[in-house]
Amino acid sequence: MSAPSDPAIEMVDVCKDYGSVRAVQNVDLAIAEGEFVVLLGPSGCGKSTLLKLVAGLEDLSSGEVYIGGRLANYLKPGDRDVAMVFQNYALYPHMTVRKNLGFPLHRQRKAKSFVTDRVDFAADLLHLQTELDRYPDELSGGQRQRVALGRAIVREPFAFLMDEPLSNLDALLRVQMRTELLRLHRRVGRTTIYVTHDQTEAMTMADRLVVMRDGVVQQVGPPDDVYDRPVNTYVATFVGARSMNLFEGRVVTANGNRRFEGPFSLDLAADPLSGIADGEIVLGVRPEDVSVCPDGAPGQLTGVVELGERIGGDVYLNVRMPEGNTIVISVDASDKIGEGESLCMQVAQDKLCFFGADGARLSTGGRDS
Amino acid sequence: MATVKQVEPRPAARGGAAGTNLPREARRAHRRRRLGSTGRHAALAFATLVFVVPFYYVILASVKNSNQIFSYPPKLLPFPVYLGNFKELLGQTQFLRWMLNTLIVAGSVAAIKVLIDSMAGYALAKLQITGKRIIFILMLILLMVPLSALIVPLWSLIRMLGLLDTYWALILPALANPLGVFLMRQFILGLPSDLMNAARLDGMSEFSIYWRIVLPLIKPGLVVLAVIIFTDQYVSFIWPLIATTSNNMELLTVGVANLHARGGVNFGLWSASAVMSLVPIAIVFFALQRQFMSRSLTGALKQ
Repeated sequence: MSAPSDPAIEMVDVCKDYGSVRAVQNVDLAIAEGEFVVLLGPSGCGKSTLLKLVAGLEDLSSGEVYIGGRLANYLKPGDRDVAMVFQNYALYPHMTVRKNLGFPLHRQRKAKSFVTDRVDFAADLLHLQTELDRYPDELSGGQRQRVALGRAIVREPFAFLMDEPLSNLDALLRVQMRTELLRLHRRVGRTTIYVTHDQTEAMTMADRLVVMRDGVVQQVGPPDDVYDRPVNTYVATFVGARSMNLFEGRVVTANGNRRFEGPFSLDLAADPLSGIADGEIVLGVRPEDVSVCPDGAPGQLTGVVELGERIGGDVYLNVRMPEGNTIVISVDASDKIGEGESLCMQVAQDKLCFFGADGARLSTGGRDS
Repeated sequence: MATVKQVEPRPAARGGAAGTNLPREARRAHRRRRLGSTGRHAALAFATLVFVVPFYYVILASVKNSNQIFSYPPKLLPFPVYLGNFKELLGQTQFLRWMLNTLIVAGSVAAIKVLIDSMAGYALAKLQITGKRIIFILMLILLMVPLSALIVPLWSLIRMLGLLDTYWALILPALANPLGVFLMRQFILGLPSDLMNAARLDGMSEFSIYWRIVLPLIKPGLVVLAVIIFTDQYVSFIWPLIATTSNNMELLTVGVANLHARGGVNFGLWSASAVMSLVPIAIVFFALQRQFMSRSLTGALKQ
């Protein structure tokens, strides 16, 4: 177990039961050294539990966890050489910032000068020099968050575990801290497992994304990959600022042309469909892969704008189609499309995703190009 | 008051009745408020009187001799001060010994109980122990058993152990009272588990988590518990009466009660003993009062 490609943290068939409830099911995951892995999923999907299993704060029901090549199943949390940042910070309220930061080192019986150096280093890194002698209740949310980070950093652990560390901050601060966290990760370069339910955080921060649902890992891969080629309809709807539009229907062949027959009919290009038989499918398309076009071209969808939500430079339009279904499309704010307007829409054929009736992605198709 | 000032310019502008009406209404409201607060103060003063008068009467009686206590009309001021009661109490009874016994018993029960109750409370609140619920429920049931139902078996037990008429007989049974464990558990449940998790990841043992993290954070609860236990022990009567036989081992409550039996009617002496008995408990209470206000939990967590 000494090759450089050895995973820093490895989970093998990890399960966790609470009574009859299986919170984590057969998770296999290998995380490379220095990698920033984000566990993404809705509340209660088992992502925090998985993190606690790695930290040793919960006992495994079955399976194995390796940290740095060592079997960690029976190691106490303190012997695993991992540091954790908690959602609610978990700062010791009866200690000053300085003591909070130095506390893990005092426990390791490090020399006083060493502790001072490390604390100063962390305070420097996180702009906490002026707060060192204050108590946690005298700090703002962002400062507490930084202290919590600092307490993890001073230990120079083998890996960082972060449990929704930004979810208690307000929106602006969250974006700032996100950048700061990433900068820190680049600088410190430690293996990090980061738990969040915020898919913007997940998409922007992750080297690799792990999407979970009901204790089961759905998909593992780089954020782009997960976004462009979701393995099932669940991932397709969960990942992305707006869910992928999904339409149930059938693929039929008529006169040698293949068509999608569902809430609407759509002629399909042959390439993405090769290898997909006629039958029930779910068609998926991202909002940004639908464009507004002048009337008249064949193979277009039509609809009336019901609602527009402006987000930055983009506007997400909920468009009601004649068949009664709604499709969400993204247009540039400068297009100035108002509610109540009728639209013609063109779907980018090469970006379509096809899922089977069971929700799993069909082997061909998708935004592979 | 502010409304009056704001309205004043109006009569000049409008010259109407509204201008004169409003200040009158304001004055009336002010008067109502004053009447209300007078009533409140009167009620509070009466309540204070009800609480203070008996104390004052006992203190008064302690510095009078028998004749003065029953003189008519009663004197409301303690002059001339008569110290004979205190001299008799300290010189001719075992009062100081009883006091010492009481302080030893109440002090050690409070100290030991605060320690073991908080430990047990931590275990029941935060550790994963099989049968935790059952233990807790058993303890709650035990809380509902009155002392009088336990006295005979307890006495037999202590006698079999050969501990009758010793400090142990007074200290040990008190330690088994589960009330403190219950209080501590509820208190510690309020602490965020992530604090302990953080400490575990910092490599601390369960005991040092208890000692370095939990104890400092539940200090206000510890003080409350200590005061409750101390006063409870200080005034307990039935068990100390049964568990001790020699005059030397008696506690204040028992000793003072026995003054009635041994010395005949002596209101002055009894009052003096009551006053003297109050001193330590008052000291404990006032000394610990400041501790009630301790650094709060805010800041540990974003709520």
